[in-house]
Amino acid sequence: MASIVSRPAACVLGQRITVRGTLTGEEDLVVEGRVEGSLALAGHLIVAESGVLEADIDVQSIEVHGEVRGDIVASESITIDKGAHVAGNVRAPRVIIHDGAQFQGAVEMDVTLPEDLARGLSR
Amino acid sequence: MANTVIGSTIVIDGEITGDEDLVVQGTVKGRVSLRENIIVEESGVLEANVETATITIHGTVTGDIQASERAELKSNCRVVGDIRAPRILIADGASFKGNVDMDG
Repeated sequence: MASIVSRPAACVLGQRITVRGTLTGEEDLVVEGRVEGSLALAGHLIVAESGVLEADIDVQSIEVHGEVRGDIVASESITIDKGAHVAGNVRAPRVIIHDGAQFQGAVEMDVTLPEDLARGLSR
Repeated sequence: MANTVIGSTIVIDGEITGDEDLVVQGTVKGRVSLRENIIVEESGVLEANVETATITIHGTVTGDIQASERAELKSNCRVVGDIRAPRILIADGASFKGNVDMDG
């Protein structure tokens, strides 16, 4: 279905931009620069190679090529790519860590165990 | 050159600093300090004190503006705050309330 309102241009925070504070939104975002604080997005977040996030992140999905220090919660997926540095806890239904990525922290996915195993763990 | 665009659904509460061009289609509250050009598009809202080289406003700005080169208020913009810049242009149809200081 064609939308009457033209889609906004891709939202980009360029290499030489620093944002300190809270950033919220409902569209896709590319961070090439620096964000310090918190970031909540109902959309796809791309942290480019030059991007640095010192922030707690709550997004639909995220793709990290750069650096993230902070906790990441995604409702869909978290992808940590080759060359990325991530320090923090990540929680999502799908977490993908590629060869060549550096990650330090805890990963939490929904794990459905067989009933007897789950019972054993909960004891 | 990479251009920074704050999209129409984006809200930033805090501080933006940098030295590249910035296009605001969304909302920025707090402080903006830039050594380049800012364009506030029709959908853009700045509730912030702004320091920049040039600013072009099609949307809404509440806060003081200090531009080292030029501040341009386009028709249909709404601006409340003091403006300080060597060159200040206010187009027919613009709404503005505040002091103008062109002494630099």
